[in-house]
Amino acid sequence: MNLIQKARMKSPWVLHFNAGSCNGCDIEILSCLTPVYDIERFGAVNVGNPKHADVLLVTGPVNRRNERVLRNLYEQMLDPKIVVAVGTCASSGGVFHNCYNCLGGVDKVIPVDVYVPGCAAKPETIIEGVILGLEKLAKMPAKARPGRQEAKAESAEAER
Amino acid sequence: MRDLLIPTLVLFPMAAAGAALVLRGRAWRSAIVGLVALVLVGSAALLASNGLLRYSPGPLTRFDWNRLVVLADGVLLVWFLALAWTRRHLGALALALAQAAGYVVLEVRFGERLRVQSNFAVDWLAIAMVLLVSVLGSAIALYALEYMDEHERHHGVSPSRQPRFFALILLFLGAMNGLVLSNNLAWTYLFWEITTLCCVLLIGHDGTPEAVASSNRALWMNLVGGCAFLAAMLMLASAQPVGEPMSVSELVRGPTPYLAPVALLCLAGFTKAAQMPFQGWLLGAMVAPTPVSALLHSSTMVKAGVYLVIRLAPAMQDTGLSNVVALVGAFTFVATAMLAISQRNAKRVLAYSTISNLGLIIACAGLNTAMAVSAAVMLLLFHAVSKALLFLAAGAIEQRLGTREIERMESLVLRMPFTTMLTVLGVLTMLLPPFGVLVSKWAALESAAREPVAMVLFVMGSAFTVVFWVRWVGRLVAVEPGQEPELKESIPPLFLWPMVGIAFVAVALSLLVTQVMLRFVAPVVASYMELGSQGFQATVSDLESRVGSFPILGLTLSLLIALALALLLASSRRRQAVPYLCGEPPMEGPTLAARAGGDEPAPIRVSGTYLDRYFSEDRHSLWMTAAASLLLVAMLGVASL
Amino acid sequence: MSIVDTVLRLLLAVVVAPWVGMLLVGLDRKLSARLQGRVGPPLTQPFYDLVKLLAKQGDTTSRFQTACLALFLASNVVSLALVLMGGDLLVMLFVLAFGAVAYIVGGFSAKSPYSQLGTQRELLQLLTYEPLLVFLAVGIYLRTGSFLASAAFSHAEPLLPEMPVFVLTLIAVFGIKLRKSPFDIASSPHHGHQEVVRGPLSEVAGPSLALVELAHWYEVVLLVALASLLWASPIWAGALVGLGCLLASIVVDNVAARLTWSWMLRFGWLVAVPASILNLIYLYATRGGGG
Repeated sequence: MNLIQKARMKSPWVLHFNAGSCNGCDIEILSCLTPVYDIERFGAVNVGNPKHADVLLVTGPVNRRNERVLRNLYEQMLDPKIVVAVGTCASSGGVFHNCYNCLGGVDKVIPVDVYVPGCAAKPETIIEGVILGLEKLAKMPAKARPGRQEAKAESAEAER
Repeated sequence: MRDLLIPTLVLFPMAAAGAALVLRGRAWRSAIVGLVALVLVGSAALLASNGLLRYSPGPLTRFDWNRLVVLADGVLLVWFLALAWTRRHLGALALALAQAAGYVVLEVRFGERLRVQSNFAVDWLAIAMVLLVSVLGSAIALYALEYMDEHERHHGVSPSRQPRFFALILLFLGAMNGLVLSNNLAWTYLFWEITTLCCVLLIGHDGTPEAVASSNRALWMNLVGGCAFLAAMLMLASAQPVGEPMSVSELVRGPTPYLAPVALLCLAGFTKAAQMPFQGWLLGAMVAPTPVSALLHSSTMVKAGVYLVIRLAPAMQDTGLSNVVALVGAFTFVATAMLAISQRNAKRVLAYSTISNLGLIIACAGLNTAMAVSAAVMLLLFHAVSKALLFLAAGAIEQRLGTREIERMESLVLRMPFTTMLTVLGVLTMLLPPFGVLVSKWAALESAAREPVAMVLFVMGSAFTVVFWVRWVGRLVAVEPGQEPELKESIPPLFLWPMVGIAFVAVALSLLVTQVMLRFVAPVVASYMELGSQGFQATVSDLESRVGSFPILGLTLSLLIALALALLLASSRRRQAVPYLCGEPPMEGPTLAARAGGDEPAPIRVSGTYLDRYFSEDRHSLWMTAAASLLLVAMLGVASL
Repeated sequence: MSIVDTVLRLLLAVVVAPWVGMLLVGLDRKLSARLQGRVGPPLTQPFYDLVKLLAKQGDTTSRFQTACLALFLASNVVSLALVLMGGDLLVMLFVLAFGAVAYIVGGFSAKSPYSQLGTQRELLQLLTYEPLLVFLAVGIYLRTGSFLASAAFSHAEPLLPEMPVFVLTLIAVFGIKLRKSPFDIASSPHHGHQEVVRGPLSEVAGPSLALVELAHWYEVVLLVALASLLWASPIWAGALVGLGCLLASIVVDNVAARLTWSWMLRFGWLVAVPASILNLIYLYATRGGGG
């Protein structure tokens, strides 16, 4: 593992976006920051700005009103970046599956790297999900990530 | 040749002023202004290369120059009376009457004592001032050629009043040169009053009610100064029956027994330099066309006031008067810097900043040590150049945008990139190391270190100063992420070259600050102070005082390296960005907006903060004026003890 | 000063100092975590942050702001070099102000609401701490008779017993400059604090943000070095004073809430500035032949 990979592993700055979640998963994410789980041990910091973030944690099934926000946030993040869908809703739409106002999962809008199951997802699972994602992040090439444009095109199609 | 220099510097612009009145065509005007610029710059350079000089014009056939001065003074005083009368300004009328009466007394009772062996004396302080007046004044006059055409087009002035305008400007330059070169107080008084007249008429040039009101204010405030000047001459003439009571070089040879006239002359200087409580006239003066403001603020008028105070510094060395003068200056420095924070009008910010810097110069002259006087002279030089640049840029911006409001200059870098660059450069040279004004401020702080009161005031004033400059620059350069300015802008050549020239001078002077110190400042200090008390030691790389050192060369090199690094880092490839708006993508359109409730576009705007709650004029001007007036009373009291 | 000595000091300022600063910032985060009952990140965490930021791709910061931040970094380096080489403290403060101005102008150049808002607060922070630092330099002058840092370094007696107020104002300056509570109104460099997103840095990303992190390392060392002037011989005592101030500001950070900019302005100009002036008056009144 070279230095850059190691640094990427050890310094995940996390952005959290609630795309219509019931707040169950959100509370579990915040509990990761507390003394009990203390994800800052791994260098993780909860940031409020996509331009500073490496990891996007999304909760909720994504509906038609916040879809553009999610896409915008994702695009504002610098490469390399990973997306972790936290909870059942974010992974597949959950109980909102096929609901008329919901798109049914984060991967309908942006490419997702890790799916964290659970309703709500447990903090331990979230942390494990992030670390899984980080391993992927560390291995990402120095050049801009391939396939991003295709992913966008796909999601635009899915929207139609 | 040498003997022709001073008449050329003083009389040539005045003669050209007459010519500008007669030859009214645009082409003639340009030719006259261009010729004056050439002649002034050339003779000023010759004067500088010639060095120290004492000179008195030989008698014209059957005509004595002193008589001519009396005649001119008479004409001037009648003019003031007429002005005050036609404008129905009682205060000004009373002051003009008092001055006329005083002048008659002076002439009748002490006529013979007004003569001086050499009527002109050139020392390095005068040379520095002549260079400023000639170079900056010429540049501003050239700029005005372009500016006034547009100004009259915009205001629909017909027939053109430009002949009068340029005649006044040229007369102003000649009078300024006369003022700084003259060694005879009576002659200085004449030139002093000419500058007042030119200033008053130029402020009222547009003839709008606002302009006339400002012009009236300038009239009576400067007439107060004129009265003080005259009173000082009367006291000197009556107090000193032998020798040459009017000789400036006699007066400032060392600590003088005649403190009261010196205090009165300082008061005259304060009115001209718009020190508190006389700041009102300079603030009002910004209604005038911008070249006038540039002239008033940089090289002429207000600089005459501080020039006089610096000139008088040796006469009040080690006296209580000197300390009070320092206090008046330092108070103005802090108070006006504070008021500038709440100003939204760019020209008003510039005006307050001028008054503030003049206060600092006067404070340094009042501290009256070798270091302090060095600081005062340096500040005089560097401030003039930077301020001229800033005013010319502000004028160019104003003509393009039709506003002086700082808030409406937002994103100006997209519309006028080159002018914005020059403005920012002007602010940088006012504000940051290693540029000249800051070196002077450093010198001022070091020289004030033993004077705790002055020191504390200097520190506070400097802190306030940063706020209003940085905020203005901040508005100019604000652009939405994703917008990149292109460096293309069409600027009329008569706007471009004076600005570029002055910007070049500002940067070059700053780079050569040690040379400026050696050539101009050190000789002034040497002539002022007893031998052995040097202000600053200038080596190739450093400026050193007893208590510190300013590594000019080191900092300049560091700045260059840092700039290279900055350019290198900024040249790396980057992606187009959209601003972060809590995740909402910005909407298409000319201004920044995002979707709000009901999907309506909500415009997003953050304006500058002006801290009215703490720094507004309403809140402070009353007590500040009162305090400043008290200080003036204290000054006169200390001097008459 | 011999050439070897100069070069050594320069190396110390430019090459060694950032590593010390990195460890101090790491210590800051570790200590804050411990104060909150957490384990906290490793001491070398800032280093990994920096490398990661440098390796981010597709910087979206505007060219102008990146240039401003590079000037900010450079000014911190030069300021530190000036102190360590015994230069003029006033000049050093001017250079430091240069950096602050560059940082602020960079923040203003990004026309996004958070950047604008945060930058205006940043400007008020500058207005608050600038006079405090200059007064510190004046206080040192009144005792050592010189504005040169070298004079303070070689001053035999400790200055601190006669300048107690300046320790307190320095702790406040640490808080303001390092954006710690209760002064973290413009932005907050670490932890979970997120006032106005990140103020002047809201539009700064990736490698450009790395410049700020690096500048921050220098800044910490510079502040510690400044505080150490109060007890410069023996030098370890000075280092202790500097670290003590840092520690105090960390503790204050963790026990205090964020307050408003108007509170900060009033605190600075109505409490800290007058207190500094009182201490200056004492120094002036009791000065010996030195000043």
